[in-house]
Amino acid sequence: MNIAWKEIKKNKMRFFILGSIIFLVSLLTFIISGLANGLSQDNASLIKDLPSGHFYMNEDAEENYNLSRIDDRIREQLVQEQKDAVAFSIQMGFLNDESDKERSVAFVTSTDSKWFEQVGPGEIILDRSLEKEGMKVGDTLTHKQYKSSFVVKKFVDQKKFSHAPVAYINKEVYNEIYRAEEMQLLFTPGEDSTQNIKGLQSFSNKEFLNTIPSYSAEQMSLNMIVWFLIVISGMLFGIFFYMMNVQKIGLYGILKAIGVKTSDLFKMMWTQMLFITILSLTLSVGSSQLFNKVAPEDMPYHLTNETTLQLSIVFLVIGFIGVTLSGLQIKRVEPLQAIQQGEV
Amino acid sequence: MDIFTIDELRKTFTNGEMKEEILKGISLTLKEGEITALVGPSGSGKSTLLTIAAGLQPASDGKILFNDNNITSMTAEQVRDIRAKKFGFVFQFAHLVPFLTVREQLSFMLDVSEVKMKNEKREQEIDYILERVGLSERKHAYPSSLSGGEKQRVAIARAVIHKPRVLFADEPTASLDSKKSKEIMSLIQDLTKTLNLTTLMVTHDEEMLSYVDHVVKMSDGLVV
Repeated sequence: MNIAWKEIKKNKMRFFILGSIIFLVSLLTFIISGLANGLSQDNASLIKDLPSGHFYMNEDAEENYNLSRIDDRIREQLVQEQKDAVAFSIQMGFLNDESDKERSVAFVTSTDSKWFEQVGPGEIILDRSLEKEGMKVGDTLTHKQYKSSFVVKKFVDQKKFSHAPVAYINKEVYNEIYRAEEMQLLFTPGEDSTQNIKGLQSFSNKEFLNTIPSYSAEQMSLNMIVWFLIVISGMLFGIFFYMMNVQKIGLYGILKAIGVKTSDLFKMMWTQMLFITILSLTLSVGSSQLFNKVAPEDMPYHLTNETTLQLSIVFLVIGFIGVTLSGLQIKRVEPLQAIQQGEV
Repeated sequence: MDIFTIDELRKTFTNGEMKEEILKGISLTLKEGEITALVGPSGSGKSTLLTIAAGLQPASDGKILFNDNNITSMTAEQVRDIRAKKFGFVFQFAHLVPFLTVREQLSFMLDVSEVKMKNEKREQEIDYILERVGLSERKHAYPSSLSGGEKQRVAIARAVIHKPRVLFADEPTASLDSKKSKEIMSLIQDLTKTLNLTTLMVTHDEEMLSYVDHVVKMSDGLVV
């Protein structure tokens, strides 16, 4: 007989309250995780969409890509030697649209590469978010430091940097605007491609993302909230089952007296924890996916199945630990003590 | 037939440097189909003797032979296994599982004692015992809706559903009025005879001694 299920059935309200709390906490965790991921995409999808590899910038730049200048000789040598290596530069700036309204963008230019859009002089390729703001292919855009004008060639999906839409421009045009002959960064795809190049500092994708101003601070805050919520849910399980166990100490003692194994009492708790958690998680996963669909388009919300699965597993593990720790007192219950304490 | 023998049983409690001997060498033999009652003043050691005999606490010295196996030299797991399969317990209070119905209390005990039987047979056994304790009509009731006497009847049914060899009853009528106490004692007597149980009980109530086969008087940790 499944005694764990019988208890849930008899004490529906008690378990409903626990389930509701777990549902709300996990839903909040999923949503904040979705926002963290969405903001991360919004902040650096240009970099996040690149394959795993290594970024290089000047050692003198002190991990600030804005100050980095890669020597042309080194750049040419690496781009020639390393398959798919690319040099690129990023600068935040403004474009004026046809109504002379200023738009904040991240100008990007690069050497020939399949990872970056290539544009001719006077052309510009923009992130799709600007199309949603009313820009069209063929529109003419201007920049204060550029004598000529840009014609919008096309829009590309999900290319953002530092929360601004990316604007791919030609290298010569970039040099004219920013008076910079050298590229700022080098990227070589491939896990094992790291090279010790004199005067350059190497970064993994994750390390490079953390050099982007505000990226690590933003992600750290959100991830801290996510983990805090996960720990809270573990503590909730622990406290809830601890309170229930305290109330049932006498009963556990009697059950042990009549021969129930301690391991069976633990199994009872684990079964209840699993049932409540899986039910609550199923509901919160469903709700978070629904939120994915109904969330405003401007909201940077991006919750992947992988993240959902990972968080669900973490919830189950934390719940299991919380319940097990709270159940350790069951092990210490003396049957004799329970019998002498009177009616449960 | 003697199936339960207590031989020179001693129990000493230590509190700091103070040592107190509660049982001072008790020897006793219990027979199948008979009720043995332990009586005596408070502090005479009768409840301690019962709980040690039932494997609920260890002895300091001596032997407890159940079917010629010495319980005092067994591991905790072996003793638990015997408690689950071969012993039945009735306490002063019913101590029922609050979220199980009367039928479920008995079914649960069959699970604990690992009695293997088909569902149909299991239901027959439960119905039979409930009929014996007069609770057929209360089969689906939860403990919260039962009277004190009914709860104690369920506790007795739970103690014997798995057909134990020994029934331990620690003041089973202490929380009941005189009429209900007699009903419960009559029931224990009836079940002891018909199920051929070996019953050891502790009681303060001299009126209940008319239902037992043997009376063992204890005083100051000794049989007198």
